[in-house]
Amino acid sequence: MELIDKLEILADAAKYDASCASSGAPKRSSEGKDGIGATNGMGICHSYTPDGRCVSLLKILLTNFCIYDCQYCVNRRTSNVPRARFTVEEVVKLTVDFYLRNYIDGLFLSSGIIQSADYTMEQLVAIARELREVHQFRGYIHLKTIPDADPALIDAAGRYADRLSVNIELPTQDSVQRLAPEKNVHTIKLAMGNIRLKLDEKEAEPKAPKFAPAGQSTQMIVGADASDDQRILTTAETLYGSYKLKRVYYSAFSPIPQSPKSVPLAPPPMLREHRLYQADFLLRGYGFQVNELLPQSGNLALDIDPKLAWALANREHFPMDLNRAEPAMITRIPGIGLRNAKRIVELRRMRQVRYADLARLKCSMKKIAPFIVTADYRPPRDTTPSEALRRSMADVQQQMPLWPELQAA
Amino acid sequence: MSIDGEPGDADDTAAPVDAVALALAGHPIPVATFGDFRTAARDLIVRRVPPESVQWSGSETPHGDLLSAATSGLAPSLPPGLLAQPPAPPPRIPRSLMEMLQSAACYRAPDRWAFLYKIVWRWQQGQQEILSMADEDGARLQHMVKAVRHEEHDMHAYLRFRERPPEAGDPRFVAWFEPAHDVLPQVAQHFARRMGKTSWMIGTPEATVLWDGHTLHSTGPLMRSAADVEDSGEALWLTYYRSIFNPARLNADIMHGHIRTRFWKNLPEAAVVPHMVSQAAAGARKVGQLDTVGKRGGTTIPIAAEKAAPERQQPSSLDDCRRCDLWQNATQAVAGQGARHAKIMLLGEQPGDQEDLAGKPFVGPAGALLDKAMIDAGMDRRKVYITNAVKHFKWEPRGKRRLHKTPAQKEVMACHYWLETELETIAPDIVVALGSTALKSILQSGSVTMKDYMGQPFQHDGRWVVVTYHPSYALRVPSAEARHEAVAAIVAALKLAQRLADGEQP
Ligand code: SF4
Repeated sequence: MELIDKLEILADAAKYDASCASSGAPKRSSEGKDGIGATNGMGICHSYTPDGRCVSLLKILLTNFCIYDCQYCVNRRTSNVPRARFTVEEVVKLTVDFYLRNYIDGLFLSSGIIQSADYTMEQLVAIARELREVHQFRGYIHLKTIPDADPALIDAAGRYADRLSVNIELPTQDSVQRLAPEKNVHTIKLAMGNIRLKLDEKEAEPKAPKFAPAGQSTQMIVGADASDDQRILTTAETLYGSYKLKRVYYSAFSPIPQSPKSVPLAPPPMLREHRLYQADFLLRGYGFQVNELLPQSGNLALDIDPKLAWALANREHFPMDLNRAEPAMITRIPGIGLRNAKRIVELRRMRQVRYADLARLKCSMKKIAPFIVTADYRPPRDTTPSEALRRSMADVQQQMPLWPELQAA
Repeated sequence: MSIDGEPGDADDTAAPVDAVALALAGHPIPVATFGDFRTAARDLIVRRVPPESVQWSGSETPHGDLLSAATSGLAPSLPPGLLAQPPAPPPRIPRSLMEMLQSAACYRAPDRWAFLYKIVWRWQQGQQEILSMADEDGARLQHMVKAVRHEEHDMHAYLRFRERPPEAGDPRFVAWFEPAHDVLPQVAQHFARRMGKTSWMIGTPEATVLWDGHTLHSTGPLMRSAADVEDSGEALWLTYYRSIFNPARLNADIMHGHIRTRFWKNLPEAAVVPHMVSQAAAGARKVGQLDTVGKRGGTTIPIAAEKAAPERQQPSSLDDCRRCDLWQNATQAVAGQGARHAKIMLLGEQPGDQEDLAGKPFVGPAGALLDKAMIDAGMDRRKVYITNAVKHFKWEPRGKRRLHKTPAQKEVMACHYWLETELETIAPDIVVALGSTALKSILQSGSVTMKDYMGQPFQHDGRWVVVTYHPSYALRVPSAEARHEAVAAIVAALKLAQRLADGEQP
């Protein structure tokens, strides 16, 4: 099979993985050195495809042969898909060629399970080693870790890769047992714990050999089982706390060819995935806890974002005086992000914050107006019932269902 | 590294202009680079020349200062007596503002130098609010900086090199880009870092840079449009681009929101987008697969379900325990560890963050303290058995950390099953209860309190029980003195346990 045919199959097979970020690696440069590649710590998206997702890495599978039978996965052993397998050299060549043409920032390599977890992991490590040691490639490398692999292999992977990920796949143990019978939450958690111990070790001992400097991440598939958003976010919160993950990626279950009966026919609304990302961001960046965003079981609202939903449910904090409020509380005002909260605090050290300042900071005035007090402004509507406010502030363009023909069926 | 014509280097090559003399004469001050501007602005500030009295001309760029050239006959008059005043101190511009000015200088606007001088002037007057978005000039400055950085970012992202055949020699890679602002010098440095010793050239309508593997060179425009270099490698990229797209998630608006329209014409992938979109719209959404992949013949993997699962150690029954809910948020159950027929059992509360990851009791900070206490008490860790009343870590999220939470009595009771098994198999003569949860577990009562038992060993179920603090209590107490006392109490309890083990009476 030609390289281009393999690429077609093995990129197609990798597209269901949501992660693509290339940030968090230490700064590296190849200026005047042998080899290629640089990282600036931020990562760059090199293109976008018509699904709105960015291309920043060469995201491929080493092979889509797989002996497992995960029901949500197009590459499961019972799936009748064309199969292909790259050689180590082919992956290395593609990475270097794409990198030189400035298509990508690095490699995100994953694989179907072939022969055994250890064998598969060895192959992934071999590619990363070849890139780093033979080609002196200094771009970004993210390796998907096979949870049952020997910890020594995970250790080796961490020496070459910037980031490691172990996918939890589904939010509950029961769902994993049912939909991914060969996987095991216990070993997945152990692998994540193992990675965290190595990361901690490295942090405590700066001279220790380098280990996955961009940390670890995971992915959860949304809508392949019946778990609600509260369950999903609680699992995410648990994983963040336990294994110091950099990111949890949420991937709305995508229809797959000859879908088995154990998974739903229709995908969840894309907006649900979007709300989960928003909520996740509030957990990571804003100090929210899941039980604040979702005190009871259920899903996040689709018509308004989670921060606005929280504010409407907690009106006693509002309207909040921007000239007095705790900086951390300012970030909880709908329509004020971390950056603008910081700017407001900076500004009020120089002078009183006025209403017009917020427009200049490009805050969404419609959104923040009912929740703030400034030197020259008090909301006339601060007693408007939350329900009415919600109606007036719901996202105007409700996103169209993405698969109308499927949802009608 | 430097690049010919980089901002800041111009002072060395061009003859210095007397900015103050030009301003006095009502002539525009010619500025080609940020370095020119910096020198001129410093001189003008020192002579207290206000921004209204200065005209600037940026002759280099085609988008240069047309306005001031057209109006150069109408010099605004300088304030009378200006030169009679003593010179002002030279401006002290903080580094962050200097960086902003330098970025903003790349913004193509006819009045860019006049505007930057106004900023410097206002800063010199003590108007710190120019740093704020809430100030009108401040907002414009930030807008310019942002636009320039955005342009740099887009050039990092959307520039595409084409590879030349090896026999064509250097440069090995060639790219064409049409930046809206003067960002080529900075961007060239980015690619020098990225490409190592590989040579390349980037052409733009205004200028060209060349990297020979060691040094950057810049010249005037050499190319007129997208590089006319044939590159068969591009086919791989287009295949990748089509294959990584999931038609089930078609949402072209987001894509267009990210890549500004003017970049599309030079992106090779632009050619395949319309087809991808129409295919997705015409039903490819039903399965996320690319249709050309779907049409190929497929294979299933013939392997029996029983053979597929990896061989794993049979989970211990403790790992499978579901007697309470604590297993759910923990990594693993942590069983006791130590000598099989130890005379002494040290009983803690529950595993902590570190123990949960490592799967062993007392390996974290509290473990280190306990180790030290054992050494002080002359106790050999290998001869005792160490375990916890509750086998799974109970915690609460605090930001990105796990905050220890005391187990509830019903969890202690549920987990007592495992302690009983351990007490039976180890059959210790003495149990040291470290902390109140351990005590409550041993006595199977939620209402007992430590202070009733501290320092006085008692018999329970045919063995001695010695009660003392949990090592993490000693870590938590605020004063060094209290901490000292707590550690001493633990050491004393361990010594006592040792004596009891040697058959002494309390
Ligand atoms: S804490 Fe104890 S009782 Fe609860 S699940 Fe874990 S081992 Fe079982």
